[in-house]
Amino acid sequence: MSRGTAERVVPTPLVAASRQRRLVSGDRLFRVIAYGAAGLIILIAAIFVIALVVPALPAITKFGLGFFTSRVWDPVRNQFGALAPIYGTLVTSAIALVIAFPIGLGAALFLADDARLQLLRGPLSFLIELLAGIPSVVIGLWAFFTLTPLMRDKVDPFLSHILGFLPLFKGTASGYGFLTAGLVLGIMVLPIMIALSRDVIRAVPRELREASLALGATNAETTWSVILPYARVGITGAVLLSLGRALGETIAVTMVIGNTMQISASLFATGYTLPSVIANEFTEANGNLYLGSLFYLGVVLVLITIVVNVLARLLIWRFSGSARAAA
Amino acid sequence: MKRVLAALSVGASILLAACGGSNTGTGGSPSATAGTPVPPAAALQGTGATFPAPFYDAARFAYNLKYSQVTVNYNPLGSGAGISALTKKVVDFGASDVPMNATELTAAGGADAVVQIASTLGTESLAYNLSGVASGQLKLTPKTIAGIFLGTIKNWNDPALAADNRGVSLPNQAISVVHRSDGSGTTYIFTDYLSTVSADWKSKVGKGKSVSWPVGQGAKGNEAVATTVKQTPGAIGYVELAYVIQTNMTQASLQNHDGSFVIPSPEGATAAASQFLAINPTQFSIVDAPGKTSAPISGYSWLMLYKDQADKTKGTALVDYLDWLVTDGQQYAVNVHYSKLPANIVKDDIISLKTVTSGGSTLLNVPAPS
Repeated sequence: MSRGTAERVVPTPLVAASRQRRLVSGDRLFRVIAYGAAGLIILIAAIFVIALVVPALPAITKFGLGFFTSRVWDPVRNQFGALAPIYGTLVTSAIALVIAFPIGLGAALFLADDARLQLLRGPLSFLIELLAGIPSVVIGLWAFFTLTPLMRDKVDPFLSHILGFLPLFKGTASGYGFLTAGLVLGIMVLPIMIALSRDVIRAVPRELREASLALGATNAETTWSVILPYARVGITGAVLLSLGRALGETIAVTMVIGNTMQISASLFATGYTLPSVIANEFTEANGNLYLGSLFYLGVVLVLITIVVNVLARLLIWRFSGSARAAA
Repeated sequence: MKRVLAALSVGASILLAACGGSNTGTGGSPSATAGTPVPPAAALQGTGATFPAPFYDAARFAYNLKYSQVTVNYNPLGSGAGISALTKKVVDFGASDVPMNATELTAAGGADAVVQIASTLGTESLAYNLSGVASGQLKLTPKTIAGIFLGTIKNWNDPALAADNRGVSLPNQAISVVHRSDGSGTTYIFTDYLSTVSADWKSKVGKGKSVSWPVGQGAKGNEAVATTVKQTPGAIGYVELAYVIQTNMTQASLQNHDGSFVIPSPEGATAAASQFLAINPTQFSIVDAPGKTSAPISGYSWLMLYKDQADKTKGTALVDYLDWLVTDGQQYAVNVHYSKLPANIVKDDIISLKTVTSGGSTLLNVPAPS
């Protein structure tokens, strides 16, 4: 037995050595590729920031932080401020999330629950992926031609009839404006919200769900106190990605928001968003200050995205921290 | 692989031979003007204004049919893009609805480095959406137009509008103003007009490719303004005439400088342009023109090229194309609802083109217009 083993062992180190050499060189190659890819991301981000900030410098030095609080945007007199489009960007994205979050989460819970209505799940998943694949310009065109008259004639009068006492739903509706833009954004981020939430809900261990049910909890109680708390971090991630898409969406919003530099409490009013201003005015902007102000808007948009991400991360960290403390 | 390559190269040479044959055919055709030499083979790149793009597309296609050895590409990215692309020398010619100003010329190497020629002439309409008021029925004066766009006239039953429109029943309906949201030459010409006829507009808003609008909502491009007006009851907006005709919109009759009401037309633009004999890249405004038939909101569109062409062959093809564009090519402007350039402008253009040189020698060898 020992001889036999010895006979078999003798060649093994040789084979292993060559194999190991091959593996090590493969490892090295893989490491180079992986590090290179990671480095490339940093490089791209750095180039992106430099390419955005450098052309914005004339406007940054001229307007400074006052850019964030001024609502004047006058290319004739070279006076620029970002308050109106910042407001519009935040308001439309907020509306989008208010619409997409409950619908998206509901649909995700339905799709992730493998117990009932098996037949519907396949077609529904397919439709959601289809919706995600529709180019934003097509959604924008649909909104421009179909949604705006519908909002003007039906939805907005209905809302102002029911909720007209709120300043949010006061004033005459043209069909264009914050509400329509927010609704379009909500539709556009819905597929992201659904697909990501569905996947994290599916990742909740089966044992947890079954244990909860076995303890006598109803389906609703299980969802509320087991599945959702477990999937919370992932769902927050889905919301963040949706928000990122909503903040940066350009074409579809430009078609329905009305492109007016104003701040209004009413959601029926027309407004502007940061990407829309850039898309509208970039091609014909002349002069360093005007062009710089458009780049500055880009910087503002990146800053907003960073702030939102950091806030969300803090929120997750706090939530999971307190959850652990409670446990 | 080798055999495939060989086959390909044989194919290519046959193709080339075929092309060469057709070249000599068209080049020698009697349509070539006497004294105009056949342009050399070249591919010309241009970019810029969207407003004249339908005309440039029709014209470059016709030119290529005439001289198949010359292809002209035009990418309508906007006037600003036209100017910056020319300045960076990534195109052979740029196009803009507003000529390059002193600052832009300095960036491009000085006022003497660039030749700017007027290429076509267009006019704008005020399109509206009022049920029961047919096209041409609504009469607008400079005063009411300024009032509507300043926001001082808010309702269609405003006494100022009623006074000019006796016999037309204007509804009690809020006016929805629609303007361009993107920077555009169309906006420049319209705000130039408003600044000319209204002191209030001039002091409060001014003129530019983008301005700070007192009222109304913005839509991106002529098409979107046209569509927004069409689907919003009570709306009014300024739109390029070509779009108004193509989409059958109702447009207002506009009071011109002489006090007569005209419906904007290509002829009206030519009439307006003929009132201004000395047009050049610094004095180019033709809005609010005198004359009984002048369309009040009209303007030229411009092409820019470098005076000193580095590539002689390309430069020769370029000036030949532009010479054709401002003369024979003008017929294609009318087809797409732009106006023919007046004779004096064509003459100025040719004189300008004759100053284009390469290595010190003039590239355009046509007789100087008298």
